[in-house]
Amino acid sequence: MKNFPRVLLIAAAAALVAAPFLTGNPFYQRIAALTALAAISASAWNLIGGYGGQVSFGHSVYFGIGAYASLLAYTKLGVPPIAGAPLGVLASFALSVIVGLPSFRLRGHYFSMATIAIAALAEVLVTNWGFAGGAIGLMGPASPRSLADLLFRSALPYYALFVAVLASLLGFTYLMQRGRMGFYLRALGSGERAAESLGVPIRRYKLYALLVSGAFTSLAGSLYAVMVGFIDPGSGFGILVSVNMVVMSALGGAGTLFGPLVGAIILVPLEETTNALLGGGSSGAAYVVYGAIIMLIARFSPGGLAQWWPLLSGKGRRGAA
Amino acid sequence: MLLEAKGIIKTFGSFRAVDEADLTLQEHELIGLIGPNGAGKSTFFNCLAGDALPDGGSIRFRDREITRMAPHDRARLGLARTFQVPIVFDGMTVRENVMVGAFLRRPHRHAAAAKADEVLAFTGLAEQADQPVTTLGTPGRKRLEIARALASEPTVLLLDEALAGLTSAEVETAIALVRRIHESGITLIVVEHIMEVIHRLTQRVIVFQQGRVLAEGSPADVTADPRVIEAYLGRRAGRHRP
Repeated sequence: MKNFPRVLLIAAAAALVAAPFLTGNPFYQRIAALTALAAISASAWNLIGGYGGQVSFGHSVYFGIGAYASLLAYTKLGVPPIAGAPLGVLASFALSVIVGLPSFRLRGHYFSMATIAIAALAEVLVTNWGFAGGAIGLMGPASPRSLADLLFRSALPYYALFVAVLASLLGFTYLMQRGRMGFYLRALGSGERAAESLGVPIRRYKLYALLVSGAFTSLAGSLYAVMVGFIDPGSGFGILVSVNMVVMSALGGAGTLFGPLVGAIILVPLEETTNALLGGGSSGAAYVVYGAIIMLIARFSPGGLAQWWPLLSGKGRRGAA
Repeated sequence: MLLEAKGIIKTFGSFRAVDEADLTLQEHELIGLIGPNGAGKSTFFNCLAGDALPDGGSIRFRDREITRMAPHDRARLGLARTFQVPIVFDGMTVRENVMVGAFLRRPHRHAAAAKADEVLAFTGLAEQADQPVTTLGTPGRKRLEIARALASEPTVLLLDEALAGLTSAEVETAIALVRRIHESGITLIVVEHIMEVIHRLTQRVIVFQQGRVLAEGSPADVTADPRVIEAYLGRRAGRHRP
């Protein structure tokens, strides 16, 4: 019976991954693809924000870089949008080094505020940058020139692609979590001075985490642009893009392997269905819900839903004994 | 000479918290750092550990200049510390906390876990290994900090008031632990203001007052020194004691 929750969980996970292929409904398939995509960026945020405890509210800057890199590659170079993804990742590395090193000197709220400022600055810069389409944004290819354009009518190919990327990110996170890097990140997130005294090179480990986190967030941005075929400053760099990642991680459980994924599975369908039900004019309604969720988590369950997992799996009783 | 600090100065604004203090430490020694509250011993201690950068003077450890070296590099060289108010890593178990220290010299998970278990047994925390660290009370947290520091396999261990705030029974177990650490070959500096503890534990004591070293010597000599009694109890007490 001890392994019962695990077996059940694996079966449920397999069913969940396969479900979009079984339903014939394009609306649900699209939601599934968007959920997987949101889980990628939230899980990427989780590396530095959850495990490392460095709460970034500016991760949209990486998302925007990735999204713009792919559509700039298409509009300026004529290559398939996905070819811009590696460029976005390279740019994200550069940004992590330039921004990370000075901002890691800041602690707690000051770090979060600095990240908000950086993303806001990026949004303003791109809005005023004619080369990148300014306030209007950029469009992807209208019809596929080749398979490499990754332009499909169905959401299923995107879903499969996103799940593959998500799986590799979660695989990396799993290995990291078990090894030295995971321990060091959690340690510096909860007590910098103590971690430092035990030989943890704090700023170096924060930078490692930010490099991987930024790269995967940038990749998520590229994948978004490839699927949606359009990007503007707000949907790339807007603060709501960052808030999405934070809220999903916090809801599912920041600093846990599956927390951000669980958060995405709850919030993306919620957002998409409310948008569909209330019509395009009230697409902001989901954010009212987000605000309420933030308050409820902060008040009742700072560890997110993951906090309740030990009670369900029976681990809680063992720990208390 | 294992550790040597010369002419350490640390100022906060116009206030000299540490005013040209010296310290020498030989291998396998167990020395005490005492002084009344505000004497500057904690600030001096933080200069040794790297948490505060001195404004003057120099510190050498194992023949290397470490005056401005970051705390994590000092840890790598073999200088470990505990904190006056324990800082535990929330969200981890007791064993995982200790593993953070063990990872310094053992990059692989299983080796780090084995080292952690060894240290947990040594410090008497083995039974709590799988508990969330937040279930530990103050004595447990102080012991955990020592365990974590030991897991980093230090040459010198700096204990910052590791015994303060404990009941007398807890002090006894803590004293026994410090003795066992010393016997295992680790050199220790113990900051305390409980005179009795220092008396029983250390071979040599350095007394701080107003940022300076007031006296130095065996615990018996130092506690008989009128200047030390005066610093602790005031001028009249100092004069009237035989």
